[in-house]
Amino acid sequence: MNCEEAAKLMDGYLDGELDPITSQTIEQHLLECPKCDQAYKIHGSLIRAIGNATPYYKAPAELRERIQSSLRDEIADLPTRNVAQDTQALFPRREPRPRAILWETSWNWLALAAAIIFAAIIAFTFVPRLQRPGADQFLATQLIASHVRSLMANHLTDVASSDQHTVKPWLDTKLDFAPPVVDLSSEGFPLIGGRLDYLDNRPVAALVYQRRKHFINLFIWPGETGAARPTMAMSHEGYQLLHWADPDFNYWAVSDANANDLQTFKQQFEAQTSHH
Amino acid sequence: MAAPLKIDYAFNAEDLESSAKIVKFTILKKHREPDAAQEHELASFEETMLPHMDAAHNLARWLLRNEQDAQDVVQEAYLRAFKSFSGFHGSNGRAWLLTIVRNTSYTFLKKNQAVDFTTFDEEIHVAADEFASPATILEHGEDAELIREAMDALPAEFREILALRHQEGLSYKEIAEIAQIPPGTVMSRLARARGKLKEYLAARIGKEK
Repeated sequence: MNCEEAAKLMDGYLDGELDPITSQTIEQHLLECPKCDQAYKIHGSLIRAIGNATPYYKAPAELRERIQSSLRDEIADLPTRNVAQDTQALFPRREPRPRAILWETSWNWLALAAAIIFAAIIAFTFVPRLQRPGADQFLATQLIASHVRSLMANHLTDVASSDQHTVKPWLDTKLDFAPPVVDLSSEGFPLIGGRLDYLDNRPVAALVYQRRKHFINLFIWPGETGAARPTMAMSHEGYQLLHWADPDFNYWAVSDANANDLQTFKQQFEAQTSHH
Repeated sequence: MAAPLKIDYAFNAEDLESSAKIVKFTILKKHREPDAAQEHELASFEETMLPHMDAAHNLARWLLRNEQDAQDVVQEAYLRAFKSFSGFHGSNGRAWLLTIVRNTSYTFLKKNQAVDFTTFDEEIHVAADEFASPATILEHGEDAELIREAMDALPAEFREILALRHQEGLSYKEIAEIAQIPPGTVMSRLARARGKLKEYLAARIGKEK
């Protein structure tokens, strides 16, 4: 990223409207470029000042009454208006209605059409979000979906190798972090390969291990520094999920192997990574 | 220059009113109470849309810069919204209503030839050394009145996008729907709006020094 690009994306970044990858690239640039960093800080203060300083014009109480009474008039008038059109037909010499009425009618139809399309877009965008369960539940659903997809679509690995020294460098070049990769063949969990995935709004590493006939997807991404979370086991739709974290990374193991196997896998993985 | 047009508008309105009177007189006997279905629709409309009246009023107030006009436009927008309400099946009532408020406001602005969004004075005529530095602007960041004035001085499309973003806290996606612009344009328009605001502040603060 250069300064010109950083300047162009400034408002989007400060409004939190950029995708996570672009945001990270910007943050990287700001660390390296004091000039842009300063510009971002100043623009950020201006944005906060606009929000804080400009008045929000609340509707006065009498407006509510005005609107409600005009709506009441509207429904009371509806039948009379229909009759009025009939009356007009009986007296063709009456002055034609002002053109503005025609114009307004077509406007209404356009507005109606626009509103329908708009409402549909909004509905499709927001309704699934409203049904979002707890954050972990939601993540678990994503993880299982990703696990199932990896088995289904013949896309288990992007790099198929039982050699950790092949898988790790490959992942390191594709991601902005370096996940730990160990082979656990001697512990009964041979490494099959690695894959990129996208979860929890960010790119993540997926390591694939085998346990007898079952596959284990181990998803890894950087966690909040120093935030070691207690191990959490979940069972969801027949799949086992095991979550743990160390000071550097979040781990989620997903498999249809049994829960004990997954626990063993976690212990072996931790024992091996602590040696590195 | 706005005055003759206003009179024209008032004349039209009076015309409508007088013909409506004739109609009412003719069919007085046939007047009936609204039926249950209409009452029900109205209740459902009010339940969905009245909670967004502050948002509607705020947007109209920023666009029209006048309290009386804002109230008239909001009332008109509610009537229009009610007439198209059967077409509303979405979940975002606020965005839907704000779209109508926005369009009604622009119709009003055009009628009164107060279409200022293309006539904004792009050049603020201040000598370069009279511009305040960004740091000085920030010292005035607390000066609410000055920032309000600056925002009021911007063209309508900028006032609109700033109100939607900073006061309603809407996402770029929602703003794109309401302002009827491509989602990709929201960021650049916001950037231009904030840039103009900054320029205005720099000029004003520079002059006061």
